[in-house]
Amino acid sequence: MELSVHQFRSKAEQQLFDLFAQSAAALPGAANPFVSGLREQAIKTYGSLGLPHRRVEAWKYTDLRERIGDIGPLIGSGGARAGEAELEAAFGEGLAHLPAYRLVLVEGALRVELSDMSDLRAAGVEVGALAHMLEMPPAWLKETLGQVNPREDDAVLALNTALMTGGVALRLAEGVTLDKPIHIVHLDGTGAAASAFTRNVIVAETGASATVLESFGSLGLKGLLRNAVTEVKLGDKSAIQHVKLQREALETIHLNTWLANIATDARYNAFQLSVGAELARNQLYVGFDGEGSATDVSGATLARGKQHCDTTLIVEHRVPRCESRELYKLVLDDDARGIFQGKVIVLPDAQKTDGKQMAQALLLSETAEFDSKPELEIFADDVVCGHGATSGQIDEDLLFYLESRGLPEEQARALLIQAFVGEAFEVLDDETLRDAFAATAADWLGAPAE
Amino acid sequence: MLEIKNLHANVDGREILKGLDLTLPTGEVHAIMGPNGSGKSTLAYVLAGNEDYEVTEGSIAWDGKDLTEMDPTERAVAGVFLAFQYPMEIPGVATMTFLRSAVNALRKARGEEELSTPDFLRLVKEKAKGLKIDIEMLRRPLNVGFSGGEKKRNEILQMTLLEPEICVLDETDSGLDIDALRIVADGVNALRTKKRSMLVITHYQRLLNYIVPDKVHVMADGRIARSGGPELALELEKSGYAEFGGKATAA
Repeated sequence: MELSVHQFRSKAEQQLFDLFAQSAAALPGAANPFVSGLREQAIKTYGSLGLPHRRVEAWKYTDLRERIGDIGPLIGSGGARAGEAELEAAFGEGLAHLPAYRLVLVEGALRVELSDMSDLRAAGVEVGALAHMLEMPPAWLKETLGQVNPREDDAVLALNTALMTGGVALRLAEGVTLDKPIHIVHLDGTGAAASAFTRNVIVAETGASATVLESFGSLGLKGLLRNAVTEVKLGDKSAIQHVKLQREALETIHLNTWLANIATDARYNAFQLSVGAELARNQLYVGFDGEGSATDVSGATLARGKQHCDTTLIVEHRVPRCESRELYKLVLDDDARGIFQGKVIVLPDAQKTDGKQMAQALLLSETAEFDSKPELEIFADDVVCGHGATSGQIDEDLLFYLESRGLPEEQARALLIQAFVGEAFEVLDDETLRDAFAATAADWLGAPAE
Repeated sequence: MLEIKNLHANVDGREILKGLDLTLPTGEVHAIMGPNGSGKSTLAYVLAGNEDYEVTEGSIAWDGKDLTEMDPTERAVAGVFLAFQYPMEIPGVATMTFLRSAVNALRKARGEEELSTPDFLRLVKEKAKGLKIDIEMLRRPLNVGFSGGEKKRNEILQMTLLEPEICVLDETDSGLDIDALRIVADGVNALRTKKRSMLVITHYQRLLNYIVPDKVHVMADGRIARSGGPELALELEKSGYAEFGGKATAA
């Protein structure tokens, strides 16, 4: 393979490149020209970009070249247990027992025996392990993989495409509406540092609708580099609520990219709650390709210690009459750092666009830091767009009110923090999900759950 | 018995209470009237323990306990309750959740068993009915979007549930129409017992037609300027606060 690569400047940068060279022949789909072509193109992209660093504007606050040390080998199957007890420990009771079609990924691979494959198929969803499907991808996967809102300038996405080993591919047939969420569980494994590259693909055909929850948790592996990507293709009049809980071990580096293309009169609602990982980068790229559609991309981050959580999203309005909403809430304690970069692009054809964005941080210590970078790039003249960002401390007047009713200060603070975050959870229309998220927040605060 | 002696208090370095003396015997209801800026609300906040108000001199003793040494939570546990003039709005906290947290926090602090959700619901429903509060209202975020009357009735509901021994009502009549005023006053009157003392702070005499006090005090410039029986309120209604440093209009 001929590659023009730039001079790698860090050990990790080189190691990631080597990881591909060493494992390419054994990666799923190696014999399939479509898949291997995708991978080769992707590693070329990575080769020319290298790991993102602070002089790349989109990575201004999160310098991966500096932050990523040694690269562990690709995560392998060590047969880690992932029963009910492990799920409960990783995600809390509410989420572990959420009534859902469960798809369980452990050590980067789908565990069919822990997953509700046949129930999901009976409900009208074509589902399979990506690793398996890459060997001979069906037409719908070939039309989707690597083509949902692709970004040529993203090294993290390119690395995922080059090295994807596991994940699930889902196709919701025309008109399918699910009675309960699909829950994609991502668990690491046990043992020494490793790297996991998982890829999920979700295709919602005309009029299909579902809630897809992706949860990320730990079984005890020390030093995971997680690079997870989900592509969501929404057909006309379809609706996907895409929800994430990231509760990985503190030693984890969590890199997650969601890509969504929205056709006509469709709705894509994304919500992410981040409480774990030492370094997390949540990327969301949403593009409107059909008129009359809407998206709500919201979330919350709870961070303390030296945690670093970066949420970067780009919503691109390419066609008229679409609506986008973003509300992010961050609670930052100790030396934690929270970053919100939200870009809304309105292309010349996208008249009557309605876009609103808000990021709010609650700082619980003098040393916590919130960086907000809203960007509006508007090339159409008949649009309504706005953005805002606030950062503040706990309101002492509210605290006094609660204390004057007998709540101890700690409890009063916890209640106010829960209230602050809880406002973000209101976009979740599934009540069990909302409760499970509220319980996660309460747990983070050390407060009793409601 | 609540005994306030020579109380001085500052807000942002400015002295607002300038040597206030007041004795409120257990079981009595006293009204505090006075012109705007005389320090009525400051007294309320100082009693509840707001840290923005600094007590520089004097004492607040209640049944031998020194309130000034306690933080707001401890005062609530000891039985102090302030009905706020402007109750706080807290989006994201359901009123019911807040009420249950408060009731159970106090029960816990007082060494009583916490109420279960069904027991608590029964209690709230019963108490809310008397104040004509719809249970639906209690499912909404605390005070958010409540009308002035709803906020004040919610304050009295809290007072009813928390069973305090000293109730301080800060301008509870402000912003109420006559019907709401009557409901609130009935709620307050229902809580009058031999063991409970109340300090009713108001600018207007109107409220005192419904909550008839044992004694009326007039505050001016951070002190009690005059004390008397309920008839003092009627007198002020006619003469206004002019002689106490207020505008020469009728109260």
